[in-house]
Amino acid sequence: MKKFLICLMALVLVFAMVLPFASCKAPVTNDETTTAPQDEPTEEPSKTPTEEPSETPSETPSEGGSEDTTEEPVVYLPLPNGTGYTYKDSVTVLSSNWNTHTYQTTDESYPVSFLTTGLYGFFFNDEEIYKSTNGSDPYAGYVIAPEMAAELPVDITEEVKAAHPEFNIPSEATAGYAYKIALNPNATWENGEAINADTYVYSMEQLLNPVLMNYRGPDYFDGDFAIANARNYYYQGTTNYTDNGNGNKYALADLVKREDGNYYTADGNAMYIAVYYGVSYLDGNSLGDYADAYGAESIYGIDGWNKLVEAMNDEGMAVLNDETYAALLTTIGADGWGNEDESYAFNYFLEEVVYEDNYDFANVGIYKTGEYEIVLVLEKSLSGFYLLYNLTGNWIVYQPYYEAGKKQIGDTDAWTNSYCSDLASTMSYGPYKMTEYQSGKYMKFEKNDNWFGYTDGKHIYVDPVDGETYTMYQTDSIVCQVVAESSTRKLMFLKGELMGYGLQSADFAEYRNSDRAYVTPSETIFFLIFNGYMDAIKEREASEGFDTTKYDLETMTLNSFRRAFAVTYDKENFATTISPSRSGGYGLIGTAYIYDPETGSRYRDTDQAKQALCDFYSVDVSKFESLDAAVDSITGYDPETAKTLFIQAYNEAIEAGYITDADGDGKSDQTVRIEYCSPATSDFMKQTLNYLNTQLLKVLEGTPFEGKIEIYESAPYGNEWSNIIKAGMSDTVLAGWQGSALNPFSLTDLYTNPSKQYDAKWFNSQAETLTLTIDGEEITMNLKQWSDALNGTAVTVNEKQYNFGDGKADVNTRLNILAAIETKVLGTYNYIPMLQDGSVALLSKQVFYVVDEYNPIMGRGGIAYMKYNYNDSEWIDFVNAQEGGVVKY
Amino acid sequence: MIKYTIQRVLLMLMTLLIITCICFVLIRMLPPATLPPGDPHTAVIEARREALGYNKPYLVQFGIFLKDVFTRFDWGISDVSGETFGKEVLPLFLEKLPPTILVNLYSILFSIPIGIAFGIWAALKKNSWIDHAISTLTMVVVSVPSFVYAFLIQYFLSFKLGWLPFLAANGTNWFSWEMFRSWIPAIMSLSFGTIAGFTRTTRAELTEVLTSEFMLLARTKGLTRAQATIRHAMKNCMVVILPAIFGNFIGVLSGSLIIEGIFSIPGVGKLYLNSINAQDYPMFILLTVFYTAIGLVASIVVDVSYGFIDPRIRMGSKK
Repeated sequence: MKKFLICLMALVLVFAMVLPFASCKAPVTNDETTTAPQDEPTEEPSKTPTEEPSETPSETPSEGGSEDTTEEPVVYLPLPNGTGYTYKDSVTVLSSNWNTHTYQTTDESYPVSFLTTGLYGFFFNDEEIYKSTNGSDPYAGYVIAPEMAAELPVDITEEVKAAHPEFNIPSEATAGYAYKIALNPNATWENGEAINADTYVYSMEQLLNPVLMNYRGPDYFDGDFAIANARNYYYQGTTNYTDNGNGNKYALADLVKREDGNYYTADGNAMYIAVYYGVSYLDGNSLGDYADAYGAESIYGIDGWNKLVEAMNDEGMAVLNDETYAALLTTIGADGWGNEDESYAFNYFLEEVVYEDNYDFANVGIYKTGEYEIVLVLEKSLSGFYLLYNLTGNWIVYQPYYEAGKKQIGDTDAWTNSYCSDLASTMSYGPYKMTEYQSGKYMKFEKNDNWFGYTDGKHIYVDPVDGETYTMYQTDSIVCQVVAESSTRKLMFLKGELMGYGLQSADFAEYRNSDRAYVTPSETIFFLIFNGYMDAIKEREASEGFDTTKYDLETMTLNSFRRAFAVTYDKENFATTISPSRSGGYGLIGTAYIYDPETGSRYRDTDQAKQALCDFYSVDVSKFESLDAAVDSITGYDPETAKTLFIQAYNEAIEAGYITDADGDGKSDQTVRIEYCSPATSDFMKQTLNYLNTQLLKVLEGTPFEGKIEIYESAPYGNEWSNIIKAGMSDTVLAGWQGSALNPFSLTDLYTNPSKQYDAKWFNSQAETLTLTIDGEEITMNLKQWSDALNGTAVTVNEKQYNFGDGKADVNTRLNILAAIETKVLGTYNYIPMLQDGSVALLSKQVFYVVDEYNPIMGRGGIAYMKYNYNDSEWIDFVNAQEGGVVKY
Repeated sequence: MIKYTIQRVLLMLMTLLIITCICFVLIRMLPPATLPPGDPHTAVIEARREALGYNKPYLVQFGIFLKDVFTRFDWGISDVSGETFGKEVLPLFLEKLPPTILVNLYSILFSIPIGIAFGIWAALKKNSWIDHAISTLTMVVVSVPSFVYAFLIQYFLSFKLGWLPFLAANGTNWFSWEMFRSWIPAIMSLSFGTIAGFTRTTRAELTEVLTSEFMLLARTKGLTRAQATIRHAMKNCMVVILPAIFGNFIGVLSGSLIIEGIFSIPGVGKLYLNSINAQDYPMFILLTVFYTAIGLVASIVVDVSYGFIDPRIRMGSKK
């Protein structure tokens, strides 16, 4: 038997080992060449690591985008062993669509920065090659310089206005609408074919092609950078319903009533009321959705609602006339809907826009004026930084591949395009070209020898340390692999197989102080939202099952109670404990926001912003050497003040009858229970609650609320959490907003616009006034008006119009307004800032940044400015020389 | 048997059609992912859905789907953001199938003989320390999910010892030594559970069979223990083991979402989950039809195989 078993085991092992080879065939080498794209980085190496291949498959691109696939040798060795410089990156999701007309997500756009070049590009100001125009220190700012363009754009508004009435440039406009752009004649595709004005015009026509319905089409007409008539061409032959609350914001008074009794815009567009049609004001939901969910009788003025439903057409809209308007006001004016008045009505309007069919592309604001010259005509005035910023991207496509990639989907009216979805369909015009690609596995880029930047003498920089001049793009190749698990990324990084590793919570204790750890802030500030909606709170207290002898909710609405909370937590300690990659958050606007893109100046660094924090945290600036010192002293934690305020809150609550002290022990009989609105339970949330409660216990010691305040997790609310919070049906949550990093002013809308406010039900921004002295004039407006005026809307107060938008007021005035609004909103204590979002990543010792300081626009220079301590073979030697082959960080 | 098989096949086709129809409708009933209110791309997404016919009645859409499949064998083109955008789903699926099949096949070919061998050993040594050791180990191994082995293997064999790469090799030369070597961690991760499963099944069956009276008869006829075990006991055990083997072989097509992800194997494991999350209708339906068909075929094969393995079992008999 023993002999049998031994034989059996041997057979098993032999079988297991040999079988795989039995099916093997000889590897086939790849005999084709690849062409491909590339591009260039804008940003630093990433939170996710990478790894690298050394070679592999390939397909040969051929005219028309067809591909000839052959098998290739396999590559598994993680480290390149040549004398070149390979950047080894990783992603969790590999892009399969880097077509600049159709990509949708950040993951998809990964290759775009390598394969394309914008008309203009950002460069560090090194005071030698790219001199700063604003006096900032070397590498503290940036310069925008031509790339695919040959020169900066030339404003020819007057000329175009006279010659091309089809673009509808306003008669009073003298600048900012039309620009002549000379193109770089040395720019070519990776195969050497020229890129000229025809390329740009053809590509824009395809981008806006109404048949293709490209995802990126609206990017060129729906924002500040809007090409004239692009919208009409893109939507030709269709009827769209524009969300008035998110667009023109027409009130009834702005509209024209025609003979049919219905209202129209001055342009003649019919107006509707959205009944069963989602609007942004309701987060994409409709009035009908709420009626279905909660019962129309309980939330709306039912007579009005019934009339709206009767008047509704098949698409869920009712024509706007006096009757339906009155019905709308009745509907939204009900108690159950928060007694909204007429000023809210515009949020429910829709504007019907009918687009002319067979629209001629010749009317779109882009045309060729020379072999290497185009003219761009804009729908809205744009100039300076924002114009150039919008032209740092590009829309051009390689015509043969693009045409070959078009395909109708079945018998439907929809088309798709396989352009830039694999190696064979990709054509680069950036600093790198794609040379290998395997779907869902990896992609490789190598230098594009035909990129003009390698020979134009402009892509060089002066190193701030040694003063020597270097060529940008030292990286020879970039390999990006899919590595799904962070634990794998970490091991690979420590083995030298990846260039970066984004720290996870468990890593911070070990690596936070590493000199290779780089902090990257991001825009979001996370704050605790505090429920103050007394109606909802009373309703909850009155509900069956709520024992008012044991619990209380009303106390949390007291200002003193909230103020106490605001100084109960050390923000930095909170961040370190809960989410080490983040830092403490102190204001409503984070440290990443730049108020002046021209100089890169940050809002949080201004005196106005600093003073706002001092005001909120009750810091007496006069007791400090400077405003900076006063701000630096802020931790968010002031236990003595917190105790005092909690005692004050107790007295106020007793007086108001919210709580009782029947036994006269000087302590509350009730526990103030604060429900944390949980979207879904998680370790992070549990840690957060644990921290909040633990710290609260400490601060409450010796106060009448000792052991009498509790924050507890709700049942999971899923995606409904924000509606629950807004309705006052839950009490607090750690949440945040992310806005445009280049426009902190726009954030005020989030805190003053009822359609966006979390606290709209208990903070009326239109009832809260603010008085500021501007240019010697004392102006009083409500917060909403200040916010609107700050963001470019002409606001009329006392028959005088105010507009403090970009270009309408000096930046200092705008900062004063922004800081005043921030102070005012913070003063409601509806939002208590807790965390500044950010990330920390380790950078491989193989490379270093030319500048360590993070720049919100330039990052740390990305691939362009990345330098190497070791080439690939030297790096292998270095890693192997480390103990256990593991690099220490 | 033939009549029974034909009946089963016809029933299978009907079941397949019903399941496909149900899944087709259910996936379309899910509310489409929404962009943030006010996002200018919302109109594009909605217009594309309209153009793709996704707003037509479900059964009309199902009819179009059937027509495309039966007249052109056209399974559709994915139109959602992600790994499949703009690609015909059938070629994409087929492209990703080989690594999935091979890794799982290697795992099974490696696991079955070892699992059966351990099962036999434990059964033959019933109630000895060997049996206890194998049984205990089997329980432990079965209880630990495969991804735990994956991380342990990565840590010890790839990180600490440096014997194996962290990830599967790049490229499509599936049958090279380099590719196989890079798959070893994944194969090992997948194998532990399978080995334990076969060990347990084999031991349980064989233990029972070895105590049967016919085994005593076999020994009294003069057969050695090994002869009796192999010729008689194992043959009876196969009634249970063989269908399990069939089931495992068929399962190789489904891949392993987690293991493929950890070792960066570009297989089909992720496709199904991603297609549901992204509401990638064409890919979802293709995979639904494929896996449903596989499951149904597997059940027929297993059922029919009983008749071949044990002549005493007759299928479809009315008597």
